[in-house]
Amino acid sequence: MPTAYPKASPTEMMGLLVLLNSHKGAEDVALLADDLDLEIDEILPSLEFAEILDLVKVTDGRVVFSDLGKHLVQGTIRERKTILRDQLKRTTLFRTLLRALESAPEHCLSDEELGQIVSLTTAPAEEAVQNIVNWGRYADLFRYDTDHRRLVLVHRPATARSGANRPPPSGGSASSAGGATSKTGRSDPAGSDPAARASGLASVTA
Amino acid sequence: MALIRVEHVDKSFASRHGTIAIMQDINLSVKDSDFVALVGPSGCGKSTLLRLIQGLDRPTGGRIYFRDQPIDRVCRQMAMVFQNFALYPWLTVSQNVAFGLEALGWSAERIAPQVERYISVIGLDGFQEAYPRELSGGMRQRVGLARALAVEPAVLLMDEPFSALDPLTAESLRDEVLQLWRDPQLPPEAVLLVSHNIEEAIELADRVIVLSRRPGHVLAEVPVDLPRPRDRKSSAFYDLTDRVYSLITQGGPASEGAPRAG
Repeated sequence: MPTAYPKASPTEMMGLLVLLNSHKGAEDVALLADDLDLEIDEILPSLEFAEILDLVKVTDGRVVFSDLGKHLVQGTIRERKTILRDQLKRTTLFRTLLRALESAPEHCLSDEELGQIVSLTTAPAEEAVQNIVNWGRYADLFRYDTDHRRLVLVHRPATARSGANRPPPSGGSASSAGGATSKTGRSDPAGSDPAARASGLASVTA
Repeated sequence: MALIRVEHVDKSFASRHGTIAIMQDINLSVKDSDFVALVGPSGCGKSTLLRLIQGLDRPTGGRIYFRDQPIDRVCRQMAMVFQNFALYPWLTVSQNVAFGLEALGWSAERIAPQVERYISVIGLDGFQEAYPRELSGGMRQRVGLARALAVEPAVLLMDEPFSALDPLTAESLRDEVLQLWRDPQLPPEAVLLVSHNIEEAIELADRVIVLSRRPGHVLAEVPVDLPRPRDRKSSAFYDLTDRVYSLITQGGPASEGAPRAG
């Protein structure tokens, strides 16, 4: 089976979740589409990727929030991004991209390298690659350096891998720290000693 | 105290064919923590009214006040979000957001953290160095929003901000605007939205002000007392939509009692 990749933009998928929320978190897919005067196939890309990210579950033409999806849609813009980031990291596509970025010199991938990696997993068209890049940027996993046409890893406190599997927190105040720390490594592709980063993170996340 | 008061405002334009009245005797107010939508048929002067309120243009008659001060120049307590985003294509996201602050004469040291803050609030981290052409419509409008909010306006003026977006993207951005408006830590205090989309107006606003056909005047103020998120398929929502729709289609010149042939 080919690796799943997003066919909708992050904003479109968020729109679907917001829409589902206004339907009290459970609705027929057809009625959901109908609410925005859309055809079903126009919301399917968003629905499909939301399901891949474990935010919704679709059974017999009916879509229902997962606990995490419910939690996401009730969060602030920043909290939503933090959850998206964790969920993206669990997909094969983004795991592959991040692993490549982490091992690449200067933690950068050129357009060609990026295209090769993506085509190994999904073989999508050029606009799909751009969309994948935009998902990663939106979730603050990496940035794109237009001047040098290359993808650059965003360094952040390496939250424990197992943390990706976290249950929906009850409070929600902790997740806002993700937004605050997101800027730290933004324009610093060089000078990225992992040990130095690791030592700095306890104070940032605390 | 009302944030904005519009009192007996007229606007007309001189043309080769004589004077064209765009709006007549408009009265309305926007209070603290109001979310007001202006709806009406095209040509009723909705967008012109927003420009008058911000002080980008002058009314022909009547007065507009911001916190009891008459508006006689561009009001810095208000910021506008445009339908076509109005971004500078040669500037990055950060530079576009900084633009309004530079225009206000902020120093570079103050601008940088302010830009960072609002880029983060709107969820644009990761796109700071992107150019508008790299962005989808939804992300471009977020830049427009960040630029408007960075000046920390009391009132956010929105001129058809969602109508150039695909329906799912629009749904997402409407939700984000509501979130910002409700957050007491963040600007704006009040939102004045111009929309031709009646459902959108009722989904978002506490009050919908219905304007007539040209020359525009206020036909009615419809309070929307429904809990959020609002279910567009509920009967209460439908009744309100129906009421506003009837007002728009039946209102207009006919109410002035001048029957027209043809």
